[in-house]
Amino acid sequence: MKITERELDALREMGNIGASHAATSLSQMLMSEVSMTVPEVEIVDISDLSSYFGTEIAALVVFEIQGEINPGGYVVLHVPRDSAIRMTNAMLGSEDMDREFNEMDRSALIEVGNIMVSQFLDATATLLGIVMLPSPPALEIDMSHAAFGSIVAQVAFDIDEIILFKTELTSEVHNVESTIILLPDSTTLSEILELLNKLMAGN
Amino acid sequence: MSDISRTFPSTYQDKGVINIGIGEYHAGDFPMTSIGLGSCIALILHDRSLHVGAVVHIMLPGSNGKTERPGKFADTAVPTLFDEMMALGSNKRSIVARIAGGASMFSQFKGNLDIGNRNIIATKEALELCHIRLEAEDVGGTVGRSIYYNPLDNGQIIIRKADGTCLEI
Repeated sequence: MKITERELDALREMGNIGASHAATSLSQMLMSEVSMTVPEVEIVDISDLSSYFGTEIAALVVFEIQGEINPGGYVVLHVPRDSAIRMTNAMLGSEDMDREFNEMDRSALIEVGNIMVSQFLDATATLLGIVMLPSPPALEIDMSHAAFGSIVAQVAFDIDEIILFKTELTSEVHNVESTIILLPDSTTLSEILELLNKLMAGN
Repeated sequence: MSDISRTFPSTYQDKGVINIGIGEYHAGDFPMTSIGLGSCIALILHDRSLHVGAVVHIMLPGSNGKTERPGKFADTAVPTLFDEMMALGSNKRSIVARIAGGASMFSQFKGNLDIGNRNIIATKEALELCHIRLEAEDVGGTVGRSIYYNPLDNGQIIIRKADGTCLEI
C-alpha cells in the first residue's frame, strides 16, 4: 500500500478532529474530563493483527460507514472488558465490578458507541465535505482478535494490509480507556486520501 | 477441565510456540497456536506416524484466482498445507485434519453474508477435494476461540473459548 508521509499526517489530523468531538461527547456522558492521545495511523499487515489485538476480552461496538460512500468500511469503538464495566457502572450508578455483562450494560455500551461514533464520523465528514453516516450498531463482547478479525475479513479480500487508525480516549476519574478505530475499505481509503490531498492543495 | 486450561500456554511467546497469524501457515514438529479465531478457521494437518504437522489461519472462503497469500483463503490453503506436509516427508495416508473456528460474529449486520459459516463449508469442500480425512472439528457458534497444537501430542488440539471454557478435540 502506497501512502506518503504527508498523507499519513493528513489522516492523523483528520483523526484528531474526529476524536476530539468523540471525546467531548464521552466526557458529557461520564460527566468527567476525557483526555485523548495523538491519533496513530499505522499500516498493519493482516498476519500481524495479533500484535495489536490479543485474546483479552473487550466490547466492540461496530458501525458500517454509510452515506455517500456506501458501503465504505467500518468504524469500531473498542473498550477493554474492565473499562467497559466501569463505563456502564458510571452511567447506571453501580459499583459492582465482579459481574457479567447484562442487557442494561449492552444497551449502555451501544448508546455510548452510537454517540461517540456519530460525532467522530460527522466531524470527519464535515472536514472532507462529504456525508458519512454510521449504520445501526452491532455489539460483540469477545476476544479482541476474534471480533476485530471478523470485521477485517469484511474488507480484506483484495488487500493484505489495513490502515489502523486509532485514538485512545481516557477518563481518569472513572479509569476508562477506549479506542476508536477507522477501518475504511480500499475504495473509501482512496476517496478519503483524494479529498485530503485536495484540502492540502487548497492551503 | 482445569487440567486442559493449565496446558494451554497463557503467553505463547515465552514457550517457543509459534503463533500463526491471519493468512499464515507453518509446518514442523514444534508447538503452534492460533489466537483469537472469530469467523476465521484454523486448519491443522497432523501426521500420525511422523508426529509432525501444519497449521493455517484461514480468513475467507474463496481466493477467486488470487495466489499471493494462499493461506488466506480456504480453497488455496488446504492444498498448500497438504504440500507442506508432503515436503516434510509425510505419507498421504497418515495425514488427518482438524478444524476449529468459523464462528458467526456481528450477525446483526444485514448485508453481512455469514463468513464464518462459508469458511467452514469451503474448508470442508477443499479437504474432500484433497482426500484428507477430517478427524475432528469444533466449529460455528457465536464466540471466539484460540487453538494450541503440539505435534508430539498424537494430533489432538486444545481449544480455549472466549467464554472461558476449554476442550480437547
